[in-house]
Amino acid sequence: MSAVINPVATGMPLLTVRGLQKRYGAVVALRDVSFSVSRGEVTALLGDNGAGKSTTIKAIAGVAPIDEGEILLEGKPVSIRHPSEANALGIQTVYQDLALCDNLGICANLYLGRELVSKPTPFGPHVLRDVDMEAEARKVLKTLRINLPALDTPVASLSGGQRQAVAIARAVLWDSKLVIMDEPTAALGVAQTAEVLRLVRDLAGQGYGVILITHNMQNVFQVADNIAVLRLGATVMERRRADLTPEQVVGAITGTLAIPGTTAAGAVA
Amino acid sequence: MSTTTQTAPQSPFKRWLSGVTNASDLGMLPVIAALILIWIVFEVLNANFLTPRNLSNLAAQIVVTGTLALAEIYIILLGMIDLSIGWNSVLAASIFSLSTVFFHLPVVVGLVLGVACATGIGFLQGMLVSRVGVPSFVVTLGGAMVAEGITLGILTPHGGSVPLADDLTTAIGTLNLDPVWSWAASIVLFGTYAALTLNSIRKRAAGGSEGGYAAVMRLVGVGVMLFGAVFMLNAYRGVPFLLMIFLIALFASAFVTKSTQFGRHLYAVGGNAEAARRAGISVKGIQLAVFVIAGFLVGLAGYLDAARLGVASASVGNGDIMLNAVAAAVIGGTSLFGGRGSVYGALFGALVIESVSNGMNLLGAASSVRFIVEGGILLAAITIDTVLRLKRMRSGRA
Repeated sequence: MSAVINPVATGMPLLTVRGLQKRYGAVVALRDVSFSVSRGEVTALLGDNGAGKSTTIKAIAGVAPIDEGEILLEGKPVSIRHPSEANALGIQTVYQDLALCDNLGICANLYLGRELVSKPTPFGPHVLRDVDMEAEARKVLKTLRINLPALDTPVASLSGGQRQAVAIARAVLWDSKLVIMDEPTAALGVAQTAEVLRLVRDLAGQGYGVILITHNMQNVFQVADNIAVLRLGATVMERRRADLTPEQVVGAITGTLAIPGTTAAGAVA
Repeated sequence: MSTTTQTAPQSPFKRWLSGVTNASDLGMLPVIAALILIWIVFEVLNANFLTPRNLSNLAAQIVVTGTLALAEIYIILLGMIDLSIGWNSVLAASIFSLSTVFFHLPVVVGLVLGVACATGIGFLQGMLVSRVGVPSFVVTLGGAMVAEGITLGILTPHGGSVPLADDLTTAIGTLNLDPVWSWAASIVLFGTYAALTLNSIRKRAAGGSEGGYAAVMRLVGVGVMLFGAVFMLNAYRGVPFLLMIFLIALFASAFVTKSTQFGRHLYAVGGNAEAARRAGISVKGIQLAVFVIAGFLVGLAGYLDAARLGVASASVGNGDIMLNAVAAAVIGGTSLFGGRGSVYGALFGALVIESVSNGMNLLGAASSVRFIVEGGILLAAITIDTVLRLKRMRSGRA
């Protein structure tokens, strides 16, 4: 499904990060992370445990701001010091735990924290516009080809794949440009994994930039356009997926395979 | 995902059934069933139970437990607990009585002082819970002891209790809305509710949403209960003012929790505080606001209790009004884990608790027996509720 060259991909990368550095006290989490994400493309961010993937996305999402380095959004340097700043720039993150409220319905979760409300009434409080929210949500779910039960169904009763879909739909409901996904298929069965990967591909097809973190090499080769590999807090490789084999990627992740054109940063440690 | 495309049940009854069970409104049905069972048992044991006179008494008896349970439900929805509601309400009543009886302040001023005191205690407890992060259990345990101490300190010089005699308080505590006005008020109330429900069903249908059957059945159920209650109360003296005040607080709370952004955030914080925080909701702000609202309701409950008894007394607080309120909230289907339940649980939970109390009194049972029966019902209610929830979760309808 990823063989189609994406029409919305343009020359200017949506997001470029250069030389990201992050320290936690004496521990150097990121030494030199650089890669870029284009509109309409899926960039897989790979690396072994402790390579710095999570720290990198936390930096881009504003959860743990970087110490040094540059983040460019559509060519312009931006400072992201807080999650709300990332959100305002159109960067949304789907965390591994999904951050859904199980007791609330699908629609309530999609709009959580950003509910549509009527103008303040004489009573003072903002009255929810549930009907409007459901109608809007239905449209977005339709464009993403997500099938869900009635939108007031509590999220607790959804399957893992459906919950993932709700979390992803919430991320794109808000004028976002870049969606970061942390291990979206980690806990899913075969059919649900396929559905989530289809959704990831659809997001790119609609012009979003996607950063996908995963350990599953098969998933990477199914959906990614671009592959960036981190090792010991630094980018050791960034290539088009079409130019790579799974063996080369695994080699770059583990540091056992020298690939022409990759930096040696990972090998030094 | 593709396996769960919406299935449309065939018959209207099945559609209704799936609507009811999906809408998580099953929460109130078991309590209502239990209540009917309790009433049947007491009526069989003593034919005086289901008389208009006794039911009018019951209607006034549920008010304080119900209002305190309402306050407690706000807190429990957050996944917290408030152990101070009993003594806090008695303190509010004491401040009201002292300021009106001994300082001769106008009734309204005394009322404002009493309620403001309870609200202020709610605010302080909310600050400790939300800003400092002290567990609510400990904060409100300490708050209860402080409120108890202050109450005893200010009431003991006056013999431990202060009789109330002002006209407003006496009227609120003892009078009823005339039967004609009771009918008129209930018809207006139900008409408004019906119009809102039908309008929402129409709008939802236009937007493509389902769930109309459940809403219509709920409308019918509410109508039967409302007019049935008014009929019984009118057969005696009409609707007690006390009950009306409680119902106003209840309906206002239903609006706030179900229809406003604040209410949505309250449920979100109770369901998953971390998710709420990441969604940009001020978790601390919600927690503080909830403690303030609960404090206000506790102050109101204190005043209503004093009005009903005609006296502000320290001996009220050391009884079981706090535990009764917590029991009523839980029997009413509020999950102690937070995020699940409805403010209407305050009404039905209080009805269960006070029906047992009232029925046992009619039977002349000792309070020892009453405690055991009430405790048994609490355990039964929470067991049935847990089993039902597990069942629904297993069948994929949590």
